[in-house]
Amino acid sequence: MTSRGPRDWYKDAVFYEVHVKAFKDANGDGIGDFAGLTESLDYIQELGVDCLWILPMYPSPLRDDGYDIADFNAIHPSYGTVEDFQKFLDAAHARDLRVITDLVMNHTSDQHPWFQASRSDPTSRYGDYYVWSTTDRRFTDARIIFVDTEKSNWTLDPVRREYYWHRFFSHQPDLNYDNPTVRRAMLDVMRFWLDRGLDGFRCDAVPYLVEREGTSCENLPETHAILKEFRAVIDHEYGGDRILLAEANQWPEDVRHYFGNGDEFHMAFHFPLMPRLYLGLRLEDTRPITDIFTQTPAIPAACQWGLFLRNHDELTLEMVTNEERAFMYYAYAYEPDMKLNLGIRRRLAPLLDGDRRRVELLNCLLLTLPGSPIIYYGDEIGMGDNVYLGDRNGVRTPMQWSRDRNAGFSSVESGQLYLPVIADPVYGYEAVNVAAQTRQPSSLLNTMRRLLAARKTSSVFGRGSIEFLRPRNAKVLAYLRRHARETLLIVANLSAAPQPVELDLAAFAGATPLEMLGATSFPTIRKEPYFLSLGPHGFYWFRLERPGDGDEPFGIERTAI
Amino acid sequence: MSAVAVGPELPSDVDRQLEGLPAAELAVGVLTYNNAATVPSVMDAVRKGFEKHFAAAPAVLINADAGSSDATVDRLAEAGLPLVRAHHDAPAVQLGAVPFHGVPGRGAAMRLAVTVARRLGVRALLVLEADVTSITGEWLERLARPVLEQGADLVMPVHARHRYDGTITNLVLAPLVSALLGRRLHQPLSGPRAFSARLLERLVGEARWPESGRSMTDLWIAGTAAGGGLTIHEARLGRWRVESNTRTTDLPTMVAQTLGAVFAMMEEYEDLWLGVGSGSPVPAEGPPVVPSDEPVQIDVDRMVGAFGRGLRDLGTIWEHVLAPDTLGDVLSLETGDPERFRFPDDLWARVVYDFALGYHWSVVYRDHLLRSLVPLYLGRTAAFVLATRGRDAAGVESAVAAVDQSFERQKPYLVDRWR
Repeated sequence: MTSRGPRDWYKDAVFYEVHVKAFKDANGDGIGDFAGLTESLDYIQELGVDCLWILPMYPSPLRDDGYDIADFNAIHPSYGTVEDFQKFLDAAHARDLRVITDLVMNHTSDQHPWFQASRSDPTSRYGDYYVWSTTDRRFTDARIIFVDTEKSNWTLDPVRREYYWHRFFSHQPDLNYDNPTVRRAMLDVMRFWLDRGLDGFRCDAVPYLVEREGTSCENLPETHAILKEFRAVIDHEYGGDRILLAEANQWPEDVRHYFGNGDEFHMAFHFPLMPRLYLGLRLEDTRPITDIFTQTPAIPAACQWGLFLRNHDELTLEMVTNEERAFMYYAYAYEPDMKLNLGIRRRLAPLLDGDRRRVELLNCLLLTLPGSPIIYYGDEIGMGDNVYLGDRNGVRTPMQWSRDRNAGFSSVESGQLYLPVIADPVYGYEAVNVAAQTRQPSSLLNTMRRLLAARKTSSVFGRGSIEFLRPRNAKVLAYLRRHARETLLIVANLSAAPQPVELDLAAFAGATPLEMLGATSFPTIRKEPYFLSLGPHGFYWFRLERPGDGDEPFGIERTAI
Repeated sequence: MSAVAVGPELPSDVDRQLEGLPAAELAVGVLTYNNAATVPSVMDAVRKGFEKHFAAAPAVLINADAGSSDATVDRLAEAGLPLVRAHHDAPAVQLGAVPFHGVPGRGAAMRLAVTVARRLGVRALLVLEADVTSITGEWLERLARPVLEQGADLVMPVHARHRYDGTITNLVLAPLVSALLGRRLHQPLSGPRAFSARLLERLVGEARWPESGRSMTDLWIAGTAAGGGLTIHEARLGRWRVESNTRTTDLPTMVAQTLGAVFAMMEEYEDLWLGVGSGSPVPAEGPPVVPSDEPVQIDVDRMVGAFGRGLRDLGTIWEHVLAPDTLGDVLSLETGDPERFRFPDDLWARVVYDFALGYHWSVVYRDHLLRSLVPLYLGRTAAFVLATRGRDAAGVESAVAAVDQSFERQKPYLVDRWR
């Protein structure tokens, strides 16, 4: 692929997270596939996003929804072939859409040929590909992550008669990154996809690559050194515009290390922000949101946070206090089936009781806070969930395209679908679908398109600093975003009731706020407090335009003729 | 003094001044408007030039003034030449907001100078600008010699300018005018120039002078000379430095005025360009002067940003002006990384021609049309700077020449859609 646009394109991008299996079934087997995803690219382009994030697409026994990879260099047969993927990737690029895919670096499936060779012949070249031990007493300071299902991080392999190390499920043995051959092999995996034009990877479970005795075996310096080595090779070989996005569910100050000095990951998720957006909304109080930003360290200029409201997992509540978690459960998971692990397995719209204004408000914050937003497929039309499907399947149901059979997702008999479509009267596909919302100008889908289009008009959203204003009314969140010569003012009412607010904008006296969604000029700012009133969950995106803005010389004026 | 009326008749006060004058071989026309600060250096150059090169040739200074309120007119005597003074009408709007060339009513002033020179029966008229302070005595020689000795009828200037000076001229005016008139002119709107007696006679006899106050007179004169089969030369004059309090530095105004002048000329004098074939270089006199190459601060990022904002804000106007293919190509230009921004020459030529056609067919209010070109011009200029900043002088020259060739190559596109 030729390089398109700036190398730091991810700073301005909006991402769209999608399951291949859930989006569109082109071959009529009840499972979405790359051919179906390719057919749907016009929709994704028209939505106004910039980059697709594809969840695991590789051959897998699917004991962890594809995060147990059995072959890194192929496509799961249900989704198509590498050729189908290539057609999809080329078609996406033709629409100026970029694509990143999930890549699990830490471990493989126990069905992967590497593991099969490693367990059956310790003397083979694969013998040292995994972390083997004759005892299960090593690395005892490392916590067990899946406490519900795993008793130890070691499992005895009956074939090799040794223990193998696994931080996740016992069917997911950890690769041995102390072995340089493994590092080379994983780099070759990355090259396999980057050579095809892929724009980067969302790297799963990165803190656990290296183990050392007497440590937690997480976030070790050796792990960072390996990640930096990977980054340097990819930058060198692919021109510097392929990205690495880290999944590290940690506090921001811990995640900060994964950016290095701008030489490790390009992006990392901001996990603690997301639950605090929901908290702030429910409490009608700006403090949970402003507080988390005071705890967010600065990151290198070339790096970026990934922001999200929902994703394919449960709404994780690991990064909140016990008290906050209890409140979140009270507010957003009032039925036991809605909870999963330390989180809530629901989609955006039902979390917010289907309240359009709250859905739009949270999307407003997602799109205007510092970082690159990630939209989970279906949330742009307000899709519902089905908490009775087990695990996190309730938020991974087929995309709702129309009111046709199987929501227009597949032509198969409905019993053959990989998961049933949402069919309840409120969020079911007959009420919530792309076709209907496309035709309705005021639909959530069209509102999302307008918000995304407005976001594209300014690089401030992706690149600007943030400065919270502190109005007396704590129900109103107001912040300035600044980049270069441009300043934006975002004002959002977290309350379900109309709210007045007075903002100290004296520093901008003389400027005129231009509302960006309706292109309406508001009264000029004076030294006195600036008064605004906001409807329930209402918000404004203002560009502050000063007289003479744009009059700075280009350097060619005096001699242009 | 009284105002000069449009037409070959001269005002009575000018007539009276001519009656007392001896026959002259050379005339120098100086068009002025509040140039007291700079006229002395221009007069000094005139005096030195005549002393050195034309000491034996009787000469007259013709001043056409737009109503200066300072000491401009008084300082003209410093040239040491017999002086004819005239005042010409200038539209009130041009007195309030002086046009890009610094002289309100320049067309009327030019006609006055041409008519007086013709009446005096000179062999050559040199027209100078009163605020160009880099003028030397050599300029007079280089302008006059081709007329006096080489049979030139019109001598146009070529100034040695910094590679990023004159971006409107290099990227729009010169390629457009050269393609229209079929003569490669480097600086078609730069002021200093020389006319032969034959051209003066042709011009005085012309019934189609542009209306008083229009900025297209210089272009019309060049077109008349080229269309009439007269000989055009260029004179290399060295560096060009202007000290003016009245010339605008507002880019939209400059673009609107200069390009508006060309489009208006195209509209009113189709016969001067529609049937004209491909361009030929014109002979250039004088030693080549190496232009200044000192580093300059040009904010390419902002220029690309302005282009991007144009895409966002002016799309509804451009949809009316640009052909669908042109618009599609413009919308496809990648602005994400200013350092990699490109704007191909052929696309640029089509953009300018589409604007000319939009002006011709009045698809939108003409002033809006002209000003909406500014972001496109900024984008094209940014691309030019990016493409040439690592090149040597010859490389820059070839980049400029490539723009000329694109306009020439695309001219049939314009002609086909004009009729």
